[in-house]
Amino acid sequence: MNFQPLQQSLVYLIGSTIAAFLWAPLLTKFLYKYNITRRGEFDPTLQGERRHKAGTPTMGGLLVIVTVTVITVLFNWQRRYTYVPIGAMGIAALLGAADDLLNIFGTKRRLRNVRHTIILMKVHKRWYMKLWYALTIPWIGFRDLVSMFGSKQGRGIQVHEKLLLQFGAGAVTAWWVYVKLGASWQTINFPFDGSLYLGWFIIPVIIFFVMFTANAVNVADGMDGLAGGSLIAAFLGLTVVSWVEGRTAFAPLNATVVGALLAYTYFNVKPARFQMGDVGSLGLGTLLAINAIALNKTLLIPFFGFIFYVEIFSVILQVLSRRLFGRRLFKMSPLHHHFEIMGWNEEKVVMRFWIIQAFMVMVGVWLALN
Amino acid sequence: MLSPKAEQVIHDYLNLPFKGIPGARAPYFNNARQRERGQLRVLVGKGTPQEIVEEAKIISIQYHAGLFDKQGDCCLHNAHTGKPVTPDDLRRFLIDHSLGIECSGFVTQVLRAHYRETKGFDFVKKITATPRAEIVRRLIAWLRPVENINVATYANDENSTLVRGYEEIKPGDLVIMLKTGPRQEHDHILLITDVQGKTIHYAQARAWSREGKYDHGVARGTISITHPTESLLKQDWQELGYNGDGNETYIEAKQANTLCIKRLRLNT
Repeated sequence: MNFQPLQQSLVYLIGSTIAAFLWAPLLTKFLYKYNITRRGEFDPTLQGERRHKAGTPTMGGLLVIVTVTVITVLFNWQRRYTYVPIGAMGIAALLGAADDLLNIFGTKRRLRNVRHTIILMKVHKRWYMKLWYALTIPWIGFRDLVSMFGSKQGRGIQVHEKLLLQFGAGAVTAWWVYVKLGASWQTINFPFDGSLYLGWFIIPVIIFFVMFTANAVNVADGMDGLAGGSLIAAFLGLTVVSWVEGRTAFAPLNATVVGALLAYTYFNVKPARFQMGDVGSLGLGTLLAINAIALNKTLLIPFFGFIFYVEIFSVILQVLSRRLFGRRLFKMSPLHHHFEIMGWNEEKVVMRFWIIQAFMVMVGVWLALN
Repeated sequence: MLSPKAEQVIHDYLNLPFKGIPGARAPYFNNARQRERGQLRVLVGKGTPQEIVEEAKIISIQYHAGLFDKQGDCCLHNAHTGKPVTPDDLRRFLIDHSLGIECSGFVTQVLRAHYRETKGFDFVKKITATPRAEIVRRLIAWLRPVENINVATYANDENSTLVRGYEEIKPGDLVIMLKTGPRQEHDHILLITDVQGKTIHYAQARAWSREGKYDHGVARGTISITHPTESLLKQDWQELGYNGDGNETYIEAKQANTLCIKRLRLNT
């Protein structure tokens, strides 16, 4: 077995860890200076036992995003394989950053629903405004539909807007895989030598996995250390798979992410010095999906991102149960809050989730190598 | 008498099962003002006593730590004032967070327990909540039967028949008031829980105006048949020590466009 790529990956890992540790104090200072912190007045969950979380800087995910981007752009020169993962991560991270900042500094947005828009269309005097209202009805309808299944948001980027932008990131990835990586990526591999040729149908599959995984990580980022620690296991698994399969561009990229995440999680464990924010969770969720797809392990994403998938499914099931049957399935969703309400403390939930995630990543690696 | 399990449900509404602090009566809550759609049934005034307690715990832990400890045990202390929590504090908490029960929700939950115990079926699945032609509404009613049963459902002749004589009244019958209130814009329902001689015992979820913001809720009362040949309004209505025009349930009965006693066809 060729250990040279592994040694190279470890250099990236160690390098990015050191780099992230070195500039983490600068980031913390920056976040405090510009008051990019969680605000109790906007977040009703920051009361009682969670009161101490108010005032903690958010957007700490920048530590990972920036470190990975800089190291990859400067040192990992296999651009054919790295520029799209980094680019799509950047798009998702920018979206997350905008959401984080608007959540802190934005004003409450007043949104009209379809009924209101139709009334405006009827009563407005100017023809071009009538036309504008008519043209925007499908979009507002889409928003109303999405809001039925999501929480009500007053500020920040709305769910339907996020979905559109995430679709953009997914589409870029799908284009890259379909057009640039070659015909072998149009076939989905199964463990134990199975495969299925999808052709162009791979495009919606990729878009789905990118959007779903990004949102899954976003949903799971609700406790100190949870997303960070779970992502370490996920990217470590991808590093091993890419090394064993000889993907010399992806092993260093995944290792770089692991290194940066180690530094991030060091500062993020309870009590967190800073929190990931959407900038990190959406960016890293997107990268997780893309890197697994690039290794042609699309169907194993639920193993590498097991905890994130469990968390997002808990939200989906809870919403369906609430809307359809009027009852709770869990005491609260995402699932980590269910256990919190059952009386588990935050550390217990996080560590058990880490262990489960590590185990499932090992299963994923085993399946990937079969 | 209603079945023991149905009586237990009424008891639980009158003494919500908060661990360690008995005597918190379920407040009245009607979703008509807030018009929540597709919400948890406990948040639209249709929940069981257990669901009300569970939701109170979740809301307390999520937003207002101190009312419950982390195991969900109630009221060991009040973190805000340092004083022991009383049933009134609990009721205030419930009312401030739109938790409670409305009249038809109360009747449905009690009758559900009654029919399950006495007849072995879930009566909400056998009741016609919407016209047969409305497929979507029927699907919703099938998925969420309790939320789709209201006073009009009970009053519907497909579901119930008139009880014509006082001597025929039996537990499980319903006193229905349609188009009542000062503006005659809402309906109300009482559940007959027992009949002892010429006294009819009922239970209901209601809000009397004299009780203000925090004193309303589930209550019991009686109607004594003092004039057997005359209408319900000529009888003696007693509740919480009030009768005649002092009894707001009686006032509501007087204001109703339609006042009748009905029996579910399932109960015949």
